[in-house]
Order: sequence, then C-alpha cells, then structure tokens
Amino acid sequence: MHIPDGLMWPALLGIGWIISVGAVWYALRKTRLTLARERIPLMALLGAGIFVAQMLNFPIGGGTTGHLVGAALATIVLGFAPAVLVLALILIVQALLFGDGGVTALGLNMLNMAVIGCGVARAIYGRSSDSGKHLAAIVAGWAAVLAGALACAVELGASYWASGGSYGIPMAIALPSMLGYHALIGVGEGLLTSGIILYLHQVLPEIFASPRGQLA
Amino acid sequence: MKTTRYIAALVGIIILFAIGLELFFLFSAGYGDGLEKTLEKAGVEEGEPFFRAPLDYGDDYASAFLAGIVGFTLLFILAYAVGRFVIARRAA
Repeated sequence: MHIPDGLMWPALLGIGWIISVGAVWYALRKTRLTLARERIPLMALLGAGIFVAQMLNFPIGGGTTGHLVGAALATIVLGFAPAVLVLALILIVQALLFGDGGVTALGLNMLNMAVIGCGVARAIYGRSSDSGKHLAAIVAGWAAVLAGALACAVELGASYWASGGSYGIPMAIALPSMLGYHALIGVGEGLLTSGIILYLHQVLPEIFASPRGQLA
Repeated sequence: MKTTRYIAALVGIIILFAIGLELFFLFSAGYGDGLEKTLEKAGVEEGEPFFRAPLDYGDDYASAFLAGIVGFTLLFILAYAVGRFVIARRAA
C-alpha cells in the first residue's frame, strides 16, 4: 500500500504532509507525557519486528500479495501515540533507505498507514470488553488495513478528478479494487495481529498490565 | 522485562524472518500488492522515483535477508533513540 512518487496530485501530497507532520508532532508530545521508561525497549523491538514483517508479502490469490502493516499490533501493545511514532519511523526508513514508497508521498503514506491505521485500531480495540479482546484484535487489524486502503483509494480518485486525469486513477476503479484486495489482506492482518497478541499475552503478560502509555 | 528475554525475542524475530522470507520467495516474490494490482488494472505504470534510495530489498534470499537485518537493526536503534529522546525531553 506504499504510494510511489509521481502518482498523486502534488497539492494532495502537500495536504498529506501537513496532516501527518501535525499528527506525528501530537504523537511526540503525547508520548512524552505517557511513555514509561521501561517500555522503550519494547517500542524499539516492535518497530524492528514490524519492519521485517512488512517485507514478507503473503499471497492472497489471483497473483496478489499483502503484508502485515502492524498499525493495530503497535497500537494494542504500545498505545496510539507511540504506535504512530513507530509506524512513521518505519515508513521513513523504508522510503529513504530502501525506496519503498515515494519520498514525496511519505506524508500520505504516514497518514494512511500510521495515523488512520492506528486511529482506527485504537477506536475499535479501545471500545472492546475484556472478554472480547482477541476478537477485537482481529477486527482492529482488518479495519486498520481497510481504512488505510479506503483513504488511499479516495486519494487516488481525488487526484484523478482534481488534475483532470494527469494524476491518480478514476475513483470507479480505485475504490472497488483497493477495498476488494485489502478486505482480503486485512483478514491476514487481523489473524496475524490477534495471534501475536495472544502469544504476547502468554509470554509477556506484564506488557499489557502497565496502565501508562496503554492506548494513550 | 529482563535483557535476556529481549535478546531471546530479537533472535526469535530474526529466525521467523528467515523462515518467512523463504516462504515469500517460494510463493509470492513475483506478485504485486493490492495497490500495484489496482494501478495495473487502471493501466498506470509506476514512474521514476523523485529520490533514488541507496538500498533495496534485493531480488534473492541472501540480499533480502541482509536488507531485513539492516532495516531491523536500524529501526531498533532509531525507535530506541526516539523513545529515549522523548523521555529526556520530559525530564528536562
């Protein structure tokens, strides 16, 4: 779901930068207030783990692949604000060091995968009951991917419309295609997220017990 | 969490990555992701990047594994540094 350079209408790229820089600034300020010192290694471990997980594309049929985005996983374990920072760092390293996602599109990629992805995951998981946490993790993972894909599709359609066809693609193609593929990719994301959360609950239950930073 | 558990977790992730990468090259290395397939449907080809990144994920197992280890290490250091910086700003 990493948007390359040259695909989106330049003004939309600027809007993406403004929103995501604002969101990362908010996340930094919020993390400063809520992150417990002992959770910093966990934040680093998740960042590194999600980076390598994003490299492992799995087939979803029809010659298409998807990979774990990790927004829901990071949000459930770290809380919203640190999760946005971790996802933003991953996207910055991917764009600047590995050419995965365009540098000019970094703002929109951070908006779609970090800000919207973590926000949706936080909204769903944060409202779940204790008995429904594992189902909520699946739904949060699925919805975070789908929401990011929906945002990307709208950006593609809006770019096409605003530029008179010079950028983006028609909404009639972007919306059903992006949502169709990512509804399937999201199932993988939801199952992986829930599986990892279940595993972490077994081996490191204390990381979920800390009230500081949790879903901040 | 004790340091030994962190080291075990880091080693565990690297082992899972090594296995997952093998499966990736067996089953899905040649396929595009959801956005790439959508662009393909619309007949749009990816243009030249605005900025040429110094590395890529590589086309074979060894280079992709190396890229993964470089990114893994860098992300761990960066996220740790950002966490420490944020805490330091709180203390200041």
